[in-house]
Amino acid sequence: MNALRGQLELWRLHLAVIVLGAIAELIGIQKIPLGIGAILLLPLLYAFVMAALMNPNVMPKFGKFIRQKEVAAASPLIVIAIMPFIAKFGTTIGPAIETIIAAGPALLLQELGNLGTIVLAFPLAVWGLKMGREAIGATFSIAREPNLAIIADRYTLKSPEGTGVMGVYVIGTLFGTFIFAILASLFASADVFDPRALAMACGIGSGSMMAACTGALTEVIPSMKDEILALAGASNLLTYATGLYAGLFIALPIVEKLYNATAGKNDIATANKKEA
Amino acid sequence: MSENAIAMERTRPNIDLTDHAVTLVIVCLVGLVMNTVGPAIPLADGFVGMVVIYLITMVGLLLTRFAPFYLPSVAWISLVGILATLPWTPGSEWIVAQAKSVNFLALATPALAYAGFAIAKKEIEVAKHSGWKLALVACLVFLGTYAGSVLVAELILRLQGA
Repeated sequence: MNALRGQLELWRLHLAVIVLGAIAELIGIQKIPLGIGAILLLPLLYAFVMAALMNPNVMPKFGKFIRQKEVAAASPLIVIAIMPFIAKFGTTIGPAIETIIAAGPALLLQELGNLGTIVLAFPLAVWGLKMGREAIGATFSIAREPNLAIIADRYTLKSPEGTGVMGVYVIGTLFGTFIFAILASLFASADVFDPRALAMACGIGSGSMMAACTGALTEVIPSMKDEILALAGASNLLTYATGLYAGLFIALPIVEKLYNATAGKNDIATANKKEA
Repeated sequence: MSENAIAMERTRPNIDLTDHAVTLVIVCLVGLVMNTVGPAIPLADGFVGMVVIYLITMVGLLLTRFAPFYLPSVAWISLVGILATLPWTPGSEWIVAQAKSVNFLALATPALAYAGFAIAKKEIEVAKHSGWKLALVACLVFLGTYAGSVLVAELILRLQGA
């Protein structure tokens, strides 16, 4: 019963989660209308912001109720708290197995769409912002745990490439849910794309990114809720299976070659000048 | 947090099942509160649904620990959820009906609250140190990844004419 005692000693943390979570649920989903569509605010976003505001590392003045002990304990709890959520998603996939099989080719190939980060982010990082090798780590992937592992293995996290991937990872951890809620809201209200395509793309990131993304989608297109959840869940499961390999064997080599062929030449030139 | 995550990703973690079983009860109870407060699903229905979700999660964890090959726990849990609800699985209709009493967004709310409490000093430092350039790049990374997936999926769906 040590496990139980350990958790009960964390009563402050669990109590705070219940209270803030309940407040967030009571506020409910809010729509902010914009010219092109609407941005959806979800309870999970309020819960994150309110918890962050009680976090002593974010707001040192409020660090009375939640202490460093609770902060340290909260990190492994995220992983456990996301497990029932993943189980729930699994139960939406089974009944929709025919939809999934029908969408199979799209579901498999959209994993390659993840390379879109290279098309958009790499040029901005290297030519727009004149970043160095940080750009390699920052732009080759969506920077979730498997991708961190790839960079840690190849360059270490202390290298420039490591700085790049860690930066995007942390921004994803802090703001990923907001970014995905906004992306999904805008894409869905544009009314151009097949909702099934939008749903599959929701599975590309972490569990909480998927929650924000599908939450926004199902709110805009409630009639397709079951299909959206099933396709996003299936895509997310595929990402676990393929993400590591796609990053390691496709995305990272492409970004390295691009960098060496363009900005890398300048690096070498500057290095030679210095030597001379 | 990141270092732990990397370690977990690469080697089979020796998960303590009793510890997880207890912690999951607490997490599920917290989730049940959200399920009752937000989506206003009757407590009794939500309770049975949550028991089903709990059992699926635990079977997934058992497989993570004892299966002959290693998959991350989330992948096992997802697979168990799928297998339990396939149309040809005996009793799947009942499981699907119970799981419907659990709202997926209500389960995500506590996870994000824990995430807000888990923000470490180091993460704030990294975010500050990285600066606006990396933040801007990160936004384009997310946009590019999402848009890329949408476009490929859209293209294939149209080609299929489905």
